[in-house]
Amino acid sequence: MTGTTIAIRIAESIPAVPAVPMADVVEATSHWWAGFILWCPLISLVLCGLCAAFRVKSKLPAWITVLSLACSFTFTVILGNLEDVPERINLFEWIAVFWSDGSFVANFALYIDSLTILWMSFVTGLGTLIALYASEYMEPDLGKGYARFFAGVSVFLFAMGCLVMGDNLLMLYLGWEGVGFASYWLIGYYYRRPEAVAAAKKAFIVNRIGDLGLALAIYLIWATFGTIQYNELMTLLDEGTYATVYEHWSVEAIPYLLMLAAFGKSAQLPLYIWLPDAMEGPTPVSALIHAATMVTAGIYLIARMYPFFLLEPTSLHVVAWVGGLTALLAATIGMAQYDIKRIFAYSTVSQLGFMFLGLGVLTTYGASYHVFTHAFFKAVLFLTAGAVMHGFAGQLDLRKLSGLRRMKGWRIVAWTMFVGCICLAGFPFTSGYFSKDAILAEAFVTQGPGFEILGWIAIFTAFLTAYYTFRVWCRVCAGPVHFEPGDELHDDDHHDDGHDEGHGFHPHAPRFAINFVLVVIAAGALLASVPYFMTNEVSDIKGGWIADMVNDSTAASGIPGHAEHPGTIAHDHSGDHGHHHGSILGMDPHVAMYYISGVVGGVGLFLAFWLHLWRRQDADRLRSWLLARAWIRWLPVAMENKWYVDEVYHALVRAPLWLLGHIFHGFDRYIIDGLLVDGTARLPRLVAKWFQPLQNGMLQSYAITMAGGAALIALLMILMMQFFEGGGVQ
Amino acid sequence: MMMEKLWFVIPEVVLLAGVVIVAILGLVSSTWLRSRVPWVTMIFVIGAGVSFPLVFTDEAVSKSTMLLPGLGRPMGMIACVIAVCLLLLTVGRIDRKYEQAIAEGRDRFDPLRSNKGEYYVFFMLSLAGLMLTCSANDLIWLFLALELTSLPTYVMVAMSRGSRRAQESAMKYFFLGAMSAAMFLYGFALLYGATGTVELSAMRDALADQAADGGISMLAVVGMMLALLGIGFKLAAAPMHLYAADVYEGAAVHVTAVLGFIPKAGGAVAFMLLLSTMGWLDGAALPMPILILLWVMAVLTMTLGNIAALLQRSVKRMLAYSSISHSGYLLIGIIAGPGLGFSAVLLYLFVYGLANTGAFAVLASLQREGREIESIDDLAGLRQKHPGSAIALAITSGSLLGFPPLLGFWGKLALFIAGIASGHIVLVLIAAINSAISAWYYLRLVGLPLMSEPSERSETIDRDSSPWPRFTAIGLAASMVVLPIFLAGIQDETELPLTSDEADAVALTDDADQDSSGF
Repeated sequence: MTGTTIAIRIAESIPAVPAVPMADVVEATSHWWAGFILWCPLISLVLCGLCAAFRVKSKLPAWITVLSLACSFTFTVILGNLEDVPERINLFEWIAVFWSDGSFVANFALYIDSLTILWMSFVTGLGTLIALYASEYMEPDLGKGYARFFAGVSVFLFAMGCLVMGDNLLMLYLGWEGVGFASYWLIGYYYRRPEAVAAAKKAFIVNRIGDLGLALAIYLIWATFGTIQYNELMTLLDEGTYATVYEHWSVEAIPYLLMLAAFGKSAQLPLYIWLPDAMEGPTPVSALIHAATMVTAGIYLIARMYPFFLLEPTSLHVVAWVGGLTALLAATIGMAQYDIKRIFAYSTVSQLGFMFLGLGVLTTYGASYHVFTHAFFKAVLFLTAGAVMHGFAGQLDLRKLSGLRRMKGWRIVAWTMFVGCICLAGFPFTSGYFSKDAILAEAFVTQGPGFEILGWIAIFTAFLTAYYTFRVWCRVCAGPVHFEPGDELHDDDHHDDGHDEGHGFHPHAPRFAINFVLVVIAAGALLASVPYFMTNEVSDIKGGWIADMVNDSTAASGIPGHAEHPGTIAHDHSGDHGHHHGSILGMDPHVAMYYISGVVGGVGLFLAFWLHLWRRQDADRLRSWLLARAWIRWLPVAMENKWYVDEVYHALVRAPLWLLGHIFHGFDRYIIDGLLVDGTARLPRLVAKWFQPLQNGMLQSYAITMAGGAALIALLMILMMQFFEGGGVQ
Repeated sequence: MMMEKLWFVIPEVVLLAGVVIVAILGLVSSTWLRSRVPWVTMIFVIGAGVSFPLVFTDEAVSKSTMLLPGLGRPMGMIACVIAVCLLLLTVGRIDRKYEQAIAEGRDRFDPLRSNKGEYYVFFMLSLAGLMLTCSANDLIWLFLALELTSLPTYVMVAMSRGSRRAQESAMKYFFLGAMSAAMFLYGFALLYGATGTVELSAMRDALADQAADGGISMLAVVGMMLALLGIGFKLAAAPMHLYAADVYEGAAVHVTAVLGFIPKAGGAVAFMLLLSTMGWLDGAALPMPILILLWVMAVLTMTLGNIAALLQRSVKRMLAYSSISHSGYLLIGIIAGPGLGFSAVLLYLFVYGLANTGAFAVLASLQREGREIESIDDLAGLRQKHPGSAIALAITSGSLLGFPPLLGFWGKLALFIAGIASGHIVLVLIAAINSAISAWYYLRLVGLPLMSEPSERSETIDRDSSPWPRFTAIGLAASMVVLPIFLAGIQDETELPLTSDEADAVALTDDADQDSSGF
């Protein structure tokens, strides 16, 4: 029972600080300026705060944010070009608590390896572009919430930077909570709308469950390994001398806790329910936070901590199955929704499921590549949806919009949306095609419980994806011109007298900022397939630049063909050459997948064009046909009602908690407050009553009490000395 | 020897120069000059603070013959930082009515009636007393320094408000202070009798000899007991805490804030110095009777402070009792001893000083018809009219409570780590339970201003006419959030370098504690 017990050091053999740091991590003190990737958004936050305080009415906050994020992006690119080995950049000492045989050290330092650079490049790049888009999109709020919005975006970028670039798990946690807070801030941006407030709360509370997992995981990692710094952890895992630790239960628990965190932040089963509701936030936020960047934090977490998952292979099977099932479930829900943003939200959940599937079937490369391409094409889809919403007074129902591509000023929106759609649908030779195939093929290659079934589920989901994606495009952008405005009419629309379609409504087409950003990101989405064809150093698989990026990071052991990849190791033992062993239809899965996924995508696309463009009445007929048949009726109904998941959660979680809350409230009110507190308050009052005579404001009695107290203590000392036999006193 | 003493009092000399100048400035008839008095004081305090790292260089410290030579620099700098905050709090508050009358032409300036210069003079003298305590190397110096810390505060309490309550509490404070001084002076006399020297380093050697010869003499133990009990008055540690609530309540807020820090820090420093003469000798822990005394004082102080704070309706009384309980936490670090313990005490003094000053600054920033606000009900719904003050109060209270990740949490963590590392787990548990009790009233200070609806009483509250208390409060609240980021740097500064034999002693103590059950 001494100081040694502070740290629950489970394995005594682990030194608190390893003697040899990870061999190839260098301290890069000369790269101190990399800190500005973080400081720029922070400065922008302060300036936006000042703008809000001084009630700036111009677009100043937007320009500040765009400029500072552009600086962050520039620094990231420079750093990415300079960096060739993993490096640590110590910004300042943050927390360093030492005691006799242990320590808790978390410096405010950056851990830069290629995975960091990969993530930061699209986070800051898309951040800059989307802030530029928002400068126009948020115009109606100029002088009201404008500065608040951009302050939120700055907070988000700062927190995301901490999350991705932090050198230890505490910085990751800071960023993790920070992006959660920024997300809460921005979902609840329209805080006068009850739905937005409810959605913000839902996002925050559901994420809390995941965050608990992360906090526990960090604690366990620290308690087991005595450090939370990545390079030290990876060294400890690299060195086989800690084999005794591998037996310990905490090593088995850590991946599951990390997984819980990842499922919360990245909206997977069973915690995905917050993401569709998060669409209540302004659309640029949906594009940046809830599609491109923040929701990929879970994939980043698992990729970063991949060695921990490899210690416990079953955890990766769970990741794969959860990812695959989420992908399917979300896709089926997305098929039956009418709100464009919601369709894209479910599609995001579904695509995130693909990424987790990739992680689970041992391809961090596929997952990372899909994160990268998805960031672009999903951002462009959300941004086009935002442009539509902005122009049609909040209208997002795909039944009430049609023929956008034939309307003046809307062509860019229509065709950039088309680009986003073909990438998402995985149409051959688009970026989504290559990144999705990398995951799908690996599902057939890697040995695991039911991975082949999982592969076919994923292929079916890819078909659904192609269908629901083009359902949106065919309805909204193609077909005859027809539209009904939404109910968010701005003031300037009201006094426009109706001479056009009797609506009294002009859709205002997007102007330069929105169109420019849409074109740039759409181009990015198309060009995201280029890295695939770049030559790579990892010889065994085709993966290009992204494979190289992942190969130089802590996620390297998740690249098929890497020396430490479990599949590779298994093969060395069995004497096979190469790492391919699965097959589909008698072909190497990697080759077969090109055909299968191309065909599947094409079929889905054809179906969408048929039902939603060429013969729209067939879609309605199909729906009424399904609804008329009792045996199949439940399917469309359940899909349209999101499989009743919210209702089930309400019944199983919310209602019991509500009841429990009321019971606790009653308990607190009547038992604790009524009986105990008032009771115990009476007790100290009684005690105070005894002491009251002492505290009576009379000088003499104070003096007597003090002297008496001193005398009593002296007496006690003498008694205790008898008891302890002198205690070192003559 | 003489040169060394003179060299180490340079910061105090700076302050004394300030005392002379401010004393004169305060009596100048020009209103403009008089209104500059606080800022001039601040310049001298900052000057003293800056001189600490220059005077207490590592080289000078390593050559020093003082008992705890490393103590001066961190304590002096902490004292100066907090003193600047305490001074900011007073800007525009001293002699307000009289100055107003002069400004409106209702009155003429009469040097005899002006208190302005005096207040700052006494403030600086008290601060100088605290700094001198740190560099004390004999009992007489220690006694004089402690009294220099306390005596000016008696006057400050008396003149802080026109009301009779201030004078009543000053009287109580003075007489009880005199009694405690008599007590610890008697203790000093016994210590001198037992060891034959007044010099602390020599006393340590003499006591070490006694310990080696079969035990420290009873006379020295009794002397130490009386000294600790007497100095416990400065710390407001039980059973010498009784004056605190009355005096804190009677004094004006800005004086209460001073009382909450400067005498307390002086007491803590004196504790560390005195105990270093007797404890941690040659690997032994403190002598058992002294350890028991400190234990009893610590447990009583925190428990009585917290329980009494629970019952208060007056915010100032509540904060007064809460500051008593903080003295109890401080004693944990003192019991833990040199190394982790003393470093934790310094850190905690800094952390607590900032948070406590911040909480009092919030009270100073509010007023009702020229009077201070009293009841906690006045704070209900404060956020609606005074959001800055409400948030500042919430953050500083949270920090006093030790709510992570605010600064106060790290201070308490350091204390608790030190306590556990030295084997006093039970004591730390008691402190933790006390922290939980304290949450009840601290959270009221968080919840009432931020979440309750304003009551009729709180509707009538205005902000103080001087903006400086408000700025101080908000600045300190911000520091509670920002400073944890630079925690490692602060800890570097508060770390007490161990002299080599002390380091051995600590190592041995740790070993010795391995098999004791952590009394």
